[in-house]
Amino acid sequence: MFPEWLIFVVMTLSFILAAMWVKWPIGISLIAASIIGALVAGEGFPVRHLIEGTFAYLDPILIISTAMVFMEVLRRSGALGSLSRLIIVKMHRQPFWLLFFITIFIMFPGMITGLSTATVLTTGALVAPALMHLGIPKLKVAAMIAMSAIYGMIAPPINVPAMIIGGGVDMPYIGFELPLIFATFPLAIGVNLGLGYKYVRQVDLEKILPDLEADAFEAYGWRLYSPLILVVVLLLGIRLFPQFFPNLGVPLIFMIGSLAGLFSGKKFNFWKLSHQSLQEALPVIGILMGIGMFIQIMTLTGVRGMLVIGSLSLPTFWRYLGISTMMPLFGAISAYGSASVLGVPFLLAYLGRNEIIVGSALSLISGLGDLMPPTALAGIFAAQVVGEGNYFRVLKYTIIPAIATAAWGIAMIVLANQLGKFL
Amino acid sequence: MKSFLKLKKNWFALLSILIAAAASWGVSLQFRQMLAREKLFPAPSLTQVLHLHDYHPALKGTHGDTKIYRFEGKEPGGKVLLLGGTHPNEPAGYMSAYLMIENVQVARGTLYIIPRANNSAFTHTDPQEGNPQFFTIRGKKGLRKFRYGSRDTNPIDQWPDPDIYLHYPSGQELAGNETRNLNRNYPGRPDGTFTEQVAYAIVKFIQSEKIDLAFDLHEASPEYPVVNAIVSSESSQDIATEAALELAFEDLHYSLEPSPYNFRGLSHREWENYTDALPILMETANPIQGRLRGKTDARLILTGWDKMYLKAAKLGVLSVPYDSSGLPLKVRVGRHIEAFQKIVEIFSRDHPDKAVRILNLPSYSELMEKGIEEFF
Repeated sequence: MFPEWLIFVVMTLSFILAAMWVKWPIGISLIAASIIGALVAGEGFPVRHLIEGTFAYLDPILIISTAMVFMEVLRRSGALGSLSRLIIVKMHRQPFWLLFFITIFIMFPGMITGLSTATVLTTGALVAPALMHLGIPKLKVAAMIAMSAIYGMIAPPINVPAMIIGGGVDMPYIGFELPLIFATFPLAIGVNLGLGYKYVRQVDLEKILPDLEADAFEAYGWRLYSPLILVVVLLLGIRLFPQFFPNLGVPLIFMIGSLAGLFSGKKFNFWKLSHQSLQEALPVIGILMGIGMFIQIMTLTGVRGMLVIGSLSLPTFWRYLGISTMMPLFGAISAYGSASVLGVPFLLAYLGRNEIIVGSALSLISGLGDLMPPTALAGIFAAQVVGEGNYFRVLKYTIIPAIATAAWGIAMIVLANQLGKFL
Repeated sequence: MKSFLKLKKNWFALLSILIAAAASWGVSLQFRQMLAREKLFPAPSLTQVLHLHDYHPALKGTHGDTKIYRFEGKEPGGKVLLLGGTHPNEPAGYMSAYLMIENVQVARGTLYIIPRANNSAFTHTDPQEGNPQFFTIRGKKGLRKFRYGSRDTNPIDQWPDPDIYLHYPSGQELAGNETRNLNRNYPGRPDGTFTEQVAYAIVKFIQSEKIDLAFDLHEASPEYPVVNAIVSSESSQDIATEAALELAFEDLHYSLEPSPYNFRGLSHREWENYTDALPILMETANPIQGRLRGKTDARLILTGWDKMYLKAAKLGVLSVPYDSSGLPLKVRVGRHIEAFQKIVEIFSRDHPDKAVRILNLPSYSELMEKGIEEFF
């Protein structure tokens, strides 16, 4: 039998060859690499494992599909353009507060759902036109949205990676609020000011106004925003008043919001819109299914264990480096997967330090996985909402914020006991 | 030419759909096998087979319903419950329960055994874990095939997960998938989710049958801090302490873990809060559950030997001793059965009016000598 490292090399090379040389779609390349990995490991053609692996992403796929439809509904109904216009007109004179509130606004859905994708495709999509009209280059806008969505996913009250890491050591999700605020808000505001402040310092409103979409609010009133309000109310209601709101699930909430959009503003063909939105989401859905197979085969063949042991084997300094690289890289498969597979062993390796601070920091670093190709859920959708087809052009603007985020997380781990006295 | 290309494209699409349908059909047969229950051969001393639906009728006909094996001694005494299969990816728990069902004799008091506490979780395996669906043991009654399942209820029975699971009645927040974890759902509620209803039925059973001592058998990954452990609540800690001391004399070492007050939904916490039973939860170390494991297959369930865990032991990141002999299933089942007998013995000593006398179960050393096969 081949050793695990060789299986890993074969899987990686197969993927690269299929994606770059044969030019198959990323999803198909991942499936091919998974099948070859299984064959090399002597597992034959494990159809059951290939299919089972994809089911890890059933819920994210439904969320992505419905969120894409919802975002398009908001755009076509005129709600996106009108809100964008409102933000610019009301806040163009206070650039700092403009970016401050936009940051918090983008983060909000992530804070209550724990999902970066839902964040990018709702509030991210809402503010993107405004930020671009204010003069911020679209690639930087995409970077701001992607980073804010990740910070939103990690910020309290809901941080699923922290819950997963805590669950792995039976640590209840209690007392995480302050550490998670400390982990996310300074970074979020700092990153967005760094990326966007120089462009919004002086805004010539008269010059921008003609380029903005006409205000549909005058024609439709508050009805225009009813889909958005409905979605926010349902998401919040389920979280805050679970005794009154049934658990509908995020996909159904987005669908309800999308249907409400039929009666909220400008008219559009819902059938064509849904078809087009799903068409756009298909490559990402394919990637997720391919990743599901890939990770299942990695686990089956022992490659996953080899990677985890390899990370834990690193000496102290290199282990910090390992956390800040391996966790985001593994997060390319899934931020939640990274929290579970690497976050829990790393937390165990640091038992004795303030576990809540360490868990919060690890969850922050795992969140960076949503920037990593090939999945790069936050990044790819952020590129999509600004109309950029090539995610790699956005990625370069997220490199410095990502390094700063990893460094912030590592500093929290190093100083966990000291921070624990204050947070 | 254009129409030919269109036809070619349609044929290709049709062929792809047919291949996908054939693969789905084939695999669905494989998945459906997991719905079948293992055939057990209960010991002749079995008195009665009850069902969880006897205590919560809404479970009847669902995957949540499960058998309760009742063994009543000739002499009256106390009542003991043993739960296996709360997490069907922790085989030492339900294999200990199966072994008892097929071998036990009760001389005094009553023993109830629920081997598949979360029956639904036996009907699937977790995506991305690469787990086997079955493992086999060549026992005295022939080749026995056992299921390996999941930690959580099958999504077929409960879906979708909320983003955040709010435990009833405390309101504690946990990751959404924990809503399908039986050992986060106690005390449950009759009109709650599928898993809450299973938890409710178990609590109702404990209350109705006036159980005195209740066990929940588990396993955990070798790197997990609470492993080779006995977890007890305020009312059961004296018995647990005494048992751990006596077991240490037999060279079986256990850490004693108090049931946390603020971690809700667990069996030991909520059985303490909602029933009169003395709750005990026991954990052994199981490498196939761990995140550090290498190749994942049925062999790992039986031998517990894994080269990645050997490396992990050298790194000092494990909570249990681990060497080239691995952690075989017989060791893990042996620990559960020995500790169970010890705790029942101490309980009977401390509560003579509720004493329970259990016979015909192997000791730890007997299991090491004869192997688990001898008892199946």
